[in-house]
Amino acid sequence: MSDPTAVVNGSDEIVITHEDIDRAHDRARVLDARSHSGFFSKMRLLWLLIGPGVLVMLGENDGPSMLSYAATGARFGIGFFLPFIVLTFAMAAVVQEMTVRLGAATHRGHAELIFERFGPFWGWFSMIDLGVGNFLTLITEFIAIRAGLGFFGVPPLASVLSALLLLYLALMTHRYWTWERVTLAFAALNLVFVPVALLAHPDWRSVGHAMLTWKPLPGGLSKDTLLIVLADIGATVTPWMLFFQQSATVDKGLTKKDIHIGRFDTFLGAILATFAALATVIATSPLFAHGMTGENFQAAEFAQALQPLIGRIGASLFALGIIEAGIVASITISTSSAYAFGEVARRPHSLNLPIAEGKAFYSVLFLCAAAAAGIVLIPGLPLVYVVLVVNVVAVLAMPPALVFLFMLVNDKEIMGDMVSPAWVNVLATGIVVSLTAAGILFGISVIAPSFFATLTGR
Amino acid sequence: MSQVSSEDHDLALAVLEHDQLATAKSKRYPRRSIKGVEALVVWSLRIYVLFMLAVVLYQVASSAR
Repeated sequence: MSDPTAVVNGSDEIVITHEDIDRAHDRARVLDARSHSGFFSKMRLLWLLIGPGVLVMLGENDGPSMLSYAATGARFGIGFFLPFIVLTFAMAAVVQEMTVRLGAATHRGHAELIFERFGPFWGWFSMIDLGVGNFLTLITEFIAIRAGLGFFGVPPLASVLSALLLLYLALMTHRYWTWERVTLAFAALNLVFVPVALLAHPDWRSVGHAMLTWKPLPGGLSKDTLLIVLADIGATVTPWMLFFQQSATVDKGLTKKDIHIGRFDTFLGAILATFAALATVIATSPLFAHGMTGENFQAAEFAQALQPLIGRIGASLFALGIIEAGIVASITISTSSAYAFGEVARRPHSLNLPIAEGKAFYSVLFLCAAAAAGIVLIPGLPLVYVVLVVNVVAVLAMPPALVFLFMLVNDKEIMGDMVSPAWVNVLATGIVVSLTAAGILFGISVIAPSFFATLTGR
Repeated sequence: MSQVSSEDHDLALAVLEHDQLATAKSKRYPRRSIKGVEALVVWSLRIYVLFMLAVVLYQVASSAR
């Protein structure tokens, strides 16, 4: 296994930075918890080590995703899409687990490894593509926040400024651990969709039937439904998720000994995110029963449409969930951009950095979010066009990101004995090929709808 | 850069793995040699990226018109 740090062991003096000290204090608590046996020590260890996996999965349940789940519930009701959502999160968990191993084994971020192992072309390509995609996605997150707060009568300017203030306050701790706990507390609110689903009084037998049989699928597998399926599979893993979880794993200081808990963290995040997504579909299924497809609904419109069916409290919780989804995603997505920038530009990149040592890192993080928030305030913003470009950029970025992830996690020179076992590779290959193919097909359908119509013959 | 106490210095050296240190990250992994199937995959990605970039630019230009 090649060790890029070997030279530091030679004549070079070892410099300990503020970032190292903060990480060392976190690691000392982990080592202390690990040195004790018993149930409470194990629980403490779990508490100390979970974070990146839960954050990335709940962060993926962002504003546009929750609105997409809401639209799915309104258009198709309880049926095929419930087990399908479970499948997509299972696929995401398999892919994200690879980033935990990569981060813990190499202590390097995803952008950094692509740059070093595959050269500057792919390094810069990944970073620029990620940056553009993230920026456009951030715009959609602030649109969700603005719309969600709009339900409570908050003006647009106050909405985006409040969201920016929260992001700023989380950053001002200059401490990865505190930032992570604050963001996790917000992310837990993603589960607010569960009580909304309960307020919708769903027929649980229908839910059970759908989970077991993947039926019904109203309208059958038409071209439009196929496009929704492709879009959902293609959006199962987005580039920022790979970059964020690997960088956060490194920033948190996880090592090879922590991989099993990192894995648990990822699967726990996937389970929580699945519950929230299923709850959203179930919550809006009464709209399907009342013949309201909600095709062009925004967050506030869904909440308003649901109010006569699930009451004011349920509708308010729904709007609150959309706000939370936008805020958590805006924090995690802007952080992934800042990590990637620091990794590729060789600038300090850690949430443990004091402002003076991490000016570039914090500037990228905050300015990306602030610029996206500012754009949302522009009247007449062509939202449909923004979403289209987001999808296309994601399609452009995903195949290289997934292929490089797969190659890196099987790279013995950097991974040593942590390379994927054969059975994981078979599973991962199937998932990577499916995600890539679905993403490309969806991209073609967006870029050239007529070509796709010819292809499907409809 | 802020001052580091000797206790913190020793703690960092004791509990962090060597390549977890911020200064260690300035050392790069060597470029990977790509051969055979991997080279084919990377070349396919290059062609894919160039093709998709052209399509995206065309799409953006047509939408702007």
